[in-house]
Amino acid sequence: MYPELDKCPRSLLVCEKSNFEHEKSRHDTHVSKHYFNHKVSVVIPECGALPSRLASVINNFSKYFLVMNLPVYEFLDKDFLKNVVWNGALYALSYRTSIDQDNTIALLPNSQLILSVDKDTYEQLGLEGKPSQYNHRQPMRYVVTIDLTDKSMAPGGKRYQRVLSSLKERVPLKSDFLLGRHNSGTDGDRALQSLLSRYQWKEHRPVVSSHTLKDLPCPSLHALDLRGDQRSCDPHSFLEWLGAVSAGVSCDNTAASFLSTYVCPEPQTLVSQALHCTVSGLLLPEDIYSLLQELRRYFDEPKFTSWLSLTVHGFMDSPVSWGDAEHGFHKGGENFYNLVLFKNQDYWLHMGTGSHDRCPP
Amino acid sequence: KQLGRVHRYRTKRLNDCSQSDKQAEMFTNGFLKNSLPGMSKKEIGDFMLRKAVVLKYAKKKKEKKKRAKGLNAKQRREMKVFQLKPEHQKYDLFLPLHELWKQYIRDLCNGLKPESNPQSIQQRLLKADFHGAILTVARSKCPSYVGTTGILVQEMKHVFKIITKEDKLKVIPKRNSVFAVEIDGFVSHIYGSKFELRSSERSAKKFKVKGTIDL
Repeated sequence: MYPELDKCPRSLLVCEKSNFEHEKSRHDTHVSKHYFNHKVSVVIPECGALPSRLASVINNFSKYFLVMNLPVYEFLDKDFLKNVVWNGALYALSYRTSIDQDNTIALLPNSQLILSVDKDTYEQLGLEGKPSQYNHRQPMRYVVTIDLTDKSMAPGGKRYQRVLSSLKERVPLKSDFLLGRHNSGTDGDRALQSLLSRYQWKEHRPVVSSHTLKDLPCPSLHALDLRGDQRSCDPHSFLEWLGAVSAGVSCDNTAASFLSTYVCPEPQTLVSQALHCTVSGLLLPEDIYSLLQELRRYFDEPKFTSWLSLTVHGFMDSPVSWGDAEHGFHKGGENFYNLVLFKNQDYWLHMGTGSHDRCPP
Repeated sequence: KQLGRVHRYRTKRLNDCSQSDKQAEMFTNGFLKNSLPGMSKKEIGDFMLRKAVVLKYAKKKKEKKKRAKGLNAKQRREMKVFQLKPEHQKYDLFLPLHELWKQYIRDLCNGLKPESNPQSIQQRLLKADFHGAILTVARSKCPSYVGTTGILVQEMKHVFKIITKEDKLKVIPKRNSVFAVEIDGFVSHIYGSKFELRSSERSAKKFKVKGTIDL
């Protein structure tokens, strides 16, 4: 009927299962490499209120700054480089820029400055870059990667001067930025404060919201059955159910005037209460890792439920998804990962991306 | 036997004829001497020679003035006429040329006043010569060309040869680049891809009007 609905853009879901205490488990790399996280949501069946330890961890999430109209050449300032960027752990992402239309700038904690620019800007800028991997026929987007720790980028060098003059005179790129920094050291704070004082900025804390859901049909999962052959449901329907819970869509499948075919996947049990908690803002991987450690300790005391889930969503408009993998927006810009934790420290990891993405690691 | 008798008979007759031959020869010689004009033997010989008449229309060729043909490309490259010697590659040496060019453009556009119509200036600049102008690469498909500035030394069909402030001679291809020329506050952008003509031929070319041009 509608030709554009026939061909859906592809989406990738990579599922793996492992144990946290296994020496080859790569859960920490996956968490730390996903740099720009927008929302974290935790679903715990058979739980009435947010446990106090979890609440304290969530409240200790780092604050982040929103800076207006920050020109990009400020990132190349000598003091800023020495104290903030080279020490690592500064995350910066341009705010409210669409990855498929505008120029998007990101600063990764490994001191790489990524400029994802459109064709006109690239031709005027004069810095070497690669065409985007997701161009259709003619190159419309280019990605310029500048490694700020490189020898050639030492302040005063030829390449440094060229990059500085390109960003200052030829194309003065300016944008609103979200800056996040994991708390460490005071030198960095001082340099950051001096940078911020020159521009308009506001401090934000991640927004936490939690509510308890009553009488929720909940799939029962078994740690060894990832694919959903016998004792659990398959990953796609599980994730769909999780999304329905997060969005508040009821999966009763009652015969009402509004027809919805979302059902809780079989095998299911009815739980009397479940906790759903969300945190949103610019969330740093280090904070998410500490939350993950705390959730692992949830099962130290005996609990009714056998599993709980943690979902982390990335930014739709971020130029990278995991590590340096380029991320684009086609009909959706999702890049998220979901961890299902079990009692015996087993876990399932589902990583999902959209069509303009490389396969997750 | 009869054949032999005929043969003997003939030879006998021939021998008799030889006698009369000699007499005939003497008679002929004497007759000829009397009737021939009095010329030397050599002249007679020449007269007897057949002179063939050549039936070709032989036009007298006009002596064309030999035009200086000019050197062809191979000879030009060998003689290196268009190459600047290293001692001549100094930016300061070309500054007077730039002043001259500015004056020339001012005359061409009847004095560049702030209220002049950009359209008319543009039309005139299209036919102007740019040797000595200060060019800057404003946009280019290749990022490393962007930002090079210098005085135009030579304009070839496909490239600009520019000398930068650091006394470096740079060769920049015209294609896929946009050059900015600045004179008295007027900045013109030249789309190099459309300018791939020898400067002498450009004065005769008509340029089409296009809305926007993408590189």
